[in-house]
Amino acid sequence: MLSDQLLTDLQARGLLPPDQAATIGEYERTRPFSLHYELRTLLYLGIVLLSGGAGVLLYQHLDDISHSVVVGGIGILMAACFAYAVRHRQPFTWGQPRPAGLLPDYALLLGCLLFLALEGYLQYQYQLFGTRYGLALVVPAALFFGLAYRFDHRGVLSMAITALASWMGVAVAPLEALTQYYFYDPGLTGAAVTLGLLLVAVGIWSDFQNRKRHFAFTYLSLGSNLGLIAMLAALFFNGSAPWWLPRPVSVVLILGVSAFLIWYARRTHSYVFILLGALYGYVAVTYLFFTLLDFGGYNPLRELILTLYFPLSMAGLVYFFTNIKKILRRP
Amino acid sequence: MIGKAYNPAWAYAEAMHAAAKRWHKLGLISPEQHRAIVTDYPLDYYRPNIFIRILLFLFTLIASATVALFFGLQLLEPLGLREEASIPAICLLMAVGCFALLESTIKSSRLYRAGSDNALLYTGLTAVVALLGYLLSQVLPASHRYQFSLTDSYFLLLLLPSLALLVAATIRYADTVVAVAAYLAYLLVPTHVLLQFSAGRLLLPFVLMLAAAVAYRLLAKLARRPDYLYYKTCLTWLKALTLATFYLGGNYLVVREGNAELASLPTSVQIPFAPLFYACTALIPLVYITMGLRRPDRIWLWVGLLTMGVSCYTLRYYRSVLPPEVAATLAGALLVVLTAVAIRYLRTPRHGLTSAADEETPPLLNLESLIVAQTASVAGPPPTGFQFGGGHSGGGGATGNF
Repeated sequence: MLSDQLLTDLQARGLLPPDQAATIGEYERTRPFSLHYELRTLLYLGIVLLSGGAGVLLYQHLDDISHSVVVGGIGILMAACFAYAVRHRQPFTWGQPRPAGLLPDYALLLGCLLFLALEGYLQYQYQLFGTRYGLALVVPAALFFGLAYRFDHRGVLSMAITALASWMGVAVAPLEALTQYYFYDPGLTGAAVTLGLLLVAVGIWSDFQNRKRHFAFTYLSLGSNLGLIAMLAALFFNGSAPWWLPRPVSVVLILGVSAFLIWYARRTHSYVFILLGALYGYVAVTYLFFTLLDFGGYNPLRELILTLYFPLSMAGLVYFFTNIKKILRRP
Repeated sequence: MIGKAYNPAWAYAEAMHAAAKRWHKLGLISPEQHRAIVTDYPLDYYRPNIFIRILLFLFTLIASATVALFFGLQLLEPLGLREEASIPAICLLMAVGCFALLESTIKSSRLYRAGSDNALLYTGLTAVVALLGYLLSQVLPASHRYQFSLTDSYFLLLLLPSLALLVAATIRYADTVVAVAAYLAYLLVPTHVLLQFSAGRLLLPFVLMLAAAVAYRLLAKLARRPDYLYYKTCLTWLKALTLATFYLGGNYLVVREGNAELASLPTSVQIPFAPLFYACTALIPLVYITMGLRRPDRIWLWVGLLTMGVSCYTLRYYRSVLPPEVAATLAGALLVVLTAVAIRYLRTPRHGLTSAADEETPPLLNLESLIVAQTASVAGPPPTGFQFGGGHSGGGGATGNF
C-alpha cells in the first residue's frame, strides 16, 4: 500500500515516531470505503427520473380509471416525502444547522418536484387558480422559499429561485440564462436585470447580516450570471434594452457588479466569482474604451492605442491568471 | 533503456504532500509535523495553475505551427526545394526541434506537465508519425499511396512503428494522452489483422475483449513496480479504459452496429452468437459493480455504473419494453428505493463500506445547488393550444420538459 511506503519513509527520516506511524497505518488499513458520492448521485438520478416520468404520466389516460391511481399515488408519495422531511427536521436557526442527513434532504427535494408536477396538473385539469396564472407560479415559489429556509436546503432554494424567475418570465438556470433570446425583447431583458440585481442584493444581505450565510453562493452565482448577461445584451443589441436601462447605466451597473464580485471573491477566496467578475468586467471595459476612443476622431495616437489594446489585454490576462492565487489570498 | 524525462522524486513528493495534507486534516499529525514533511519533500518543479497551463499549451501550439509555416515558406521554397522534399524536411525539423526543446526545457526550467511540455510532446509525436507516413508513401506501390485506412494491407507498416513510438514516449514522459493513444493503437493491431479475412469480423469482438484483458493483466503487473507512482495517472486511466473496452467489445449494440458498419449494410441485422452478447451486455456491468464493492475499487465501481447505463440504453435501443414515461418512473422508483436502503444499511460501516462522506472532503453543496437549478424540472402539460402562464414551461421548471 502507498501509505505504508510513505510511512516507512517518514520514519526512516525521523519525521514520525514509530507508534504514531503505526496508528496512521492502522487507520489507513481499516478505514471504510466511502460510497457517499456514488449513492448521492444515484439517489438524485432516481429522483429526477421518478418525478420526470410521473409528471408525464399525469397527462396520459385522462379518462381512464388508472388515471386516478396515478394522481392519488403521486399525492400520497408527496405527502410521505414531506412527512419524512418534517419528522427529521432540525430546529430553525439563521446559521447553519447540523445536516439532517442524506435521506431527509432528498425526500424534501422529491416532495417539491412532485408538488410542482401535481400543481401544474391541477391547474391544467381543474383550473385550480382560475385565470390567475401568475398565482399558479407564485405559490410554488413562496412555498419553496419557506421550505428552503425552514429545512436549510440549498437545492430547494435553487428551485424557489427558478420558480420566482419563471413567474417573472425569465429562465435563471446557468445555461438557459446565457442562451435565452434577449433580442428585441425589452420586457425579458428588464425582468432579467431586475431579478439578477435583486438576487445579488439578497445574497449580499444574507452574507453580511448573517442570515443563512451559506445561501449567499446560490443567490450570488445565479443572480450575477443572469443580471450581467442580460445587461450585456442591453448594451450590445439595439432594441433589447428597456427604457430605464440606457447604455451608460448598463455600463456603470456591469462595472459595479463586476467590481463587487471581484471584491467578494477576494473576501471568500472564490474562483467562480473572480472569473465571473473579471470576464464581464473586461467586456464592459473594452466596450467603454472603444466608445470613448470613437469620440476622439482620427489621430495617429488613436491608431497606436487600437493596435496595442488586444496584445496588452492579452498580457493583462496572463498577469491575472499567473497571480490569481495571490489576488485571492492577499489579506 | 529509455529512462524518465522528469525527476521521479517529483511524483513521490506529490504523493507525500497529498497524504500529509489528508493526515493533517484528520488530526493524525500535528501542524508542526505537517510543516516538517512539506519542507523535507519540496515540490521544486514548475507547474502553474490550470488557466496558465491552458494558455501555455495554446501558445506553444500556435508558436510551433508558426515556426513550421515560417520554415516552409521562407526558407525551403526560395532554396528551390520541391514540395516532395519540403514536407519531410519540415516534419523532420519539427520532430527534432520539439523533442530537443522539450528535453532542454525540462532540464533547465524543471517543467512538469506545465502545458508547454505537453504541447511540445504532442507536436513532436505528430511530426514523427507524419514523417513516417510520408516516407512510407514514397516506397509503397502507387495504388496504396496516402491511403492509410484500417483495411489497407500496408496499414501495419505505419501502425507498428507508431505504436512502438507511443509506448516509448509513454515510458519516458508518462503522459496520459499519449498512453491512451498508445492503448488505442495497440487495439488497432488485432483489428487490422482480423479485418484482412472475411471470417475476421466474427472473431473481432472476442479478440478485442481478449486484448483488453491481456492489457489489464499487464497493467496490474506494472502497478506493482516500485516506480509506479511516476505512472500513476496513466495507469489509472488505462485501467478504466481497459475495463470499458472489454465491456464494449461484448456489448450487443456496439457489435451489431459495428458489424453493419464494416459490412456497409444500410440497416443493422441480427448477428451470430447473439445470446452470448446479450449475456455479456447484461452481466459484465453487474460483475464490475460487484468487484468494485468487494475489493473495494472505485474505478471498477464507476466503470460498472457507467456501463450499466450503456446496457440500459442498449436494451431500450432495440426493445421498447415499456413506454418511456413508465420506464422512467419505475427505474427512478427502483433507484430511489435501492439507494435509500443502501444508505440506511451502510449508516454504520459494514463490509468495509460506508455511506458517510470521507472526513477530509467537504460535501460539494454549492455545486449541487447549481446542478439542481439546471436539471430539476417537471414536464408541463402537453401543448394542446392551452396557454399556461407567460408562455414559459409550466410549474416553475423553466428548463423545459423531461
